[in-house]
Amino acid sequence: MELISLIILVIFIVAGGVCIGGGVHFIPVGGAPAAMSTATGVGTGTAMLAAGAGLTGLITAASMTGQAWYLVALAGAVGAMLMMGITMLIANFVYIFGVGIVPASSKASIDPITKLDQDPYKTPGTEGHGVPTVCFVSGIIGALLGGAGGGLVYYAVDSFASASTVLSGVDATAAAGLAAIVSVGIFFINSVAASYNIGGTIEGFHDPKFKRIPKGILASAIMSLVAAIFVILMLGGI
Amino acid sequence: MDPVTLGVVALMGAAATIAGAAEDLESDIGSQSNPNSQVQLAPQMGHLHRMINKAASGEPVSYGVWCGTAGAIAALAISAGIIPVVAIAMGSTVAAFVHAIYTVTSHLGRIVGQSQFEQPLFMDVLTQSLGPIAAHGFIASFGIVGMSYLMTLPLDGLGHPFPLPLLAMLWGITIGAIGSSTGDVHYGSESEYQKFEYGGGTPVAIQGDIVTKAPTGAKNSIDVGNFCAKYGGPLTGFCFGLIVFVSFWITLVFGTVPGQIVGIVIIVLLILGNMYLEKFARTKFGPYEE
Repeated sequence: MELISLIILVIFIVAGGVCIGGGVHFIPVGGAPAAMSTATGVGTGTAMLAAGAGLTGLITAASMTGQAWYLVALAGAVGAMLMMGITMLIANFVYIFGVGIVPASSKASIDPITKLDQDPYKTPGTEGHGVPTVCFVSGIIGALLGGAGGGLVYYAVDSFASASTVLSGVDATAAAGLAAIVSVGIFFINSVAASYNIGGTIEGFHDPKFKRIPKGILASAIMSLVAAIFVILMLGGI
Repeated sequence: MDPVTLGVVALMGAAATIAGAAEDLESDIGSQSNPNSQVQLAPQMGHLHRMINKAASGEPVSYGVWCGTAGAIAALAISAGIIPVVAIAMGSTVAAFVHAIYTVTSHLGRIVGQSQFEQPLFMDVLTQSLGPIAAHGFIASFGIVGMSYLMTLPLDGLGHPFPLPLLAMLWGITIGAIGSSTGDVHYGSESEYQKFEYGGGTPVAIQGDIVTKAPTGAKNSIDVGNFCAKYGGPLTGFCFGLIVFVSFWITLVFGTVPGQIVGIVIIVLLILGNMYLEKFARTKFGPYEE
């Protein structure tokens, strides 16, 4: 294996990991309180929603196997954004018509995008509810980064596995499957670490917790670098 | 654009819709997702209940396991020469058995943990809910593995490179995340707190004060399924079906690169649709009075 191929592999995995780790900070998750309409955001866990969107992106990215890296990353980003956008819109349908509440943020008294007041529409005793526009846009940005990052990691590992002498003679499905498993692993490593950095719930880029993103990105870069070394050892042989 | 492939993608969307609805109703009956926190909290607040609580694992991960198991058995059976529809049913049956074992052990564990608050373990609740939970889980696994199998068919525009068990596991994790984010809100915010006035979130002060009575007798998990089947479940199915269909429809109809541009246009429309929905809700409901 040429040195330049190894360097490109490491760069793609670290860049993908940083995109995933950074992207998770944008996704508006309210966890269990949001499922009871007690907090703003989508009513599930940070890592799980990010993984759901990222894995949809991974499946659409893999449909582009054999194409240029930027097309694989773009397909991943579009797939993840579609999943996140449709899920947040349908969640709002449940909040508005099923529970009878108005989406309202608790971290911004005025929505920075629509300029609409938030406080009068919050149920007294809650931390807001639903997915207001600012959270929606933040979630789309998070899915874009997560999907593109997953696509980059998949492209790099698939290219490396296909050219690896360790896997010579194995059919292309096995290489794609191996690349997918490694991508899912790197996705979970980065999204779980990011959710620890967030520490519970976050509304998106307007949330004060979003300021923790530099530490999260640094941690993602270090973890992805270590993961990349293990990928080289696994697929390239020692 | 090959009309046969388009038909297969439509069939994938239909399978995903049915699977999504079944998945949400199963997780509602079993309190698998975030609303389980209220079922767990209720005895501490003095509200003994007859609800199933099997949230020993998150919904996405557990559905990844059921669908991955079903996909692996189905792939094995297909490679042995069994016709795909029977092979997928075999895989889903094995997954339903695994699901039932998980339900029994996790429910017993969680309820026994509440015995210090005088919460009894009702064996009739467990036996009457086990069938609906395993059956809904079977439908969800069958739909997802069936949809994953269709994705791997060697048709123009399809022929996904991932093996069947891996695809089934990935879609299983995704449907778990979607069901947890959409339909389960109907259970957590409305079904559990139906005795409070419609049109508000759940204040922290009333958390754990869940509904324990039904029109006749004590409320149980089957009542939750009946309630959520009217809105949360179908909407979850619609959400997942739409994601699966649109993800493949864009590249199939418009091509590789133009398909991505159409995807971005759809995302912009989703943002605008959400803004319209938010403004509609404000106009319709108005602010809370001080």
